[in-house]
Amino acid sequence: MFAKPHSALIIVGHGSTVNADSSTPTYDHAAEITRRGIFGEVYCAFWKEEPSLRQVLHMVDADDIYVVPNFISEGYFTRTVIPRELELTGPVSQRDGRTIKYCEPVGNHPRMTELLVRRAAEIAPGVPPQKTSLLIVGHGTDLNDNSAVAAKREVERIAERGLYAEVLNAYMEEEPLISQWDEAATQPNVVVVPFFIADGLHSYEDIPVLLGIATESTGAASATQKEIFRRNPYRLRGRTLYYASAIGTEPLFADVILDQVTAFDATHANAALA
Amino acid sequence: MRNLTQAIADWITAGGREMGEIRIEPTANGFVLRHREDAPAGEATFTGPEAARDLAHFDDAGNFRALKSAPNLRHGWRLTLTSLAELRRALDYFYPAMTGVWLSHQQGSLGFVPLRTTLARQTGMYAVTKKISDAQAQTMIGQFCRSDGGCLKRILWPVSAGLPVTSLPAEKFESAAPAQELPLLCAEACNLLVAKARQVVKQSAEPA
Repeated sequence: MFAKPHSALIIVGHGSTVNADSSTPTYDHAAEITRRGIFGEVYCAFWKEEPSLRQVLHMVDADDIYVVPNFISEGYFTRTVIPRELELTGPVSQRDGRTIKYCEPVGNHPRMTELLVRRAAEIAPGVPPQKTSLLIVGHGTDLNDNSAVAAKREVERIAERGLYAEVLNAYMEEEPLISQWDEAATQPNVVVVPFFIADGLHSYEDIPVLLGIATESTGAASATQKEIFRRNPYRLRGRTLYYASAIGTEPLFADVILDQVTAFDATHANAALA
Repeated sequence: MRNLTQAIADWITAGGREMGEIRIEPTANGFVLRHREDAPAGEATFTGPEAARDLAHFDDAGNFRALKSAPNLRHGWRLTLTSLAELRRALDYFYPAMTGVWLSHQQGSLGFVPLRTTLARQTGMYAVTKKISDAQAQTMIGQFCRSDGGCLKRILWPVSAGLPVTSLPAEKFESAAPAQELPLLCAEACNLLVAKARQVVKQSAEPA
């Protein structure tokens, strides 16, 4: 494991003004990386919560700063909002004697495939993959966002492994719709993994309602909302259904964040040599 | 490279004891933090900086605190910390970035951004905020940022160059605080205020 005691890491999440759980995975991954003592300093920053992207650099002592977006894909936030708010000039920005290194978003890393496969296996222990349809659920209609592209790429990569009988994309708001999961999936077992950074309204309620395993909520607290992931398997529409929490809650995301730092160094060291 | 932990240590040594709604007591083994309105007895005890994240996350009624500098920090707890590093981390959970912003201000490196500049750079769903009138902005700031019920930060920015915010009392714009208090400084309108501006513009665009 590498060590960067004189560098700071800033993990950037979207955050929310209404969902108390939105920032949790980003903070959890930061806590894990802090615990490993790799960086001298580790911080989180958010678009919708504090510390904001405008404030976070004031928190940092180090002059060498890595920024990793905890986003599922490249898109509006990683290409427009984060660079603008942090006043970045490119992958490497020099400002006030500091060097700010802007890494790729976590969702872009090849290890995402491994994490999705792992999460799918964990929630359906002992269930034979060759008799299972794996569905990766994305949002779908996000403007300027490549999350659907990223979800399609992951489905192709998992399918290439030949582990599952079939691997399918599904979306909340565009075809193929997750609400028609039983028509799309041909296998007796169906595993559904949300391709989202954090649990929230989509994974607690919207997708479960579309799957048919929950009814519209009564505004219950998040502690009970998490119950939806603990009642596996669900037996409905003639199938056995397993429903996972958002992939971004996977503890191994901390490793992917660190992988993006390593990938950044490798890319920019090569660029310097070229 | 600067040293924020040392700056916090110096502030404590010089008698620093309060930040927002937090009271900080140095002890033989570190620090004890509590709500400044709580009497030092009978509170639930928490340990370590990570507990501050949970304490700052919900108000007394259990509602999510989207704005950490809102005057609605929950009561009835005490947090014990064993080092300055832990104190720094805990304060960053209670009042994110506020010790760092304060140090930048002390060092003369904290700029401020007029509201118009912040709104002008917005894109996507917030691009519409540019349309807010000066009068609407004054009213909005007067309600949203007020210290009693809104936000405890001290505002350093004007609406635009030469147009100060006039809808709040003069002390709201005073960056200096009493020696025992570490001021919460607002160098730029937050995303919550930008979101509010969007709401104001959208509502005024609706036919009456």
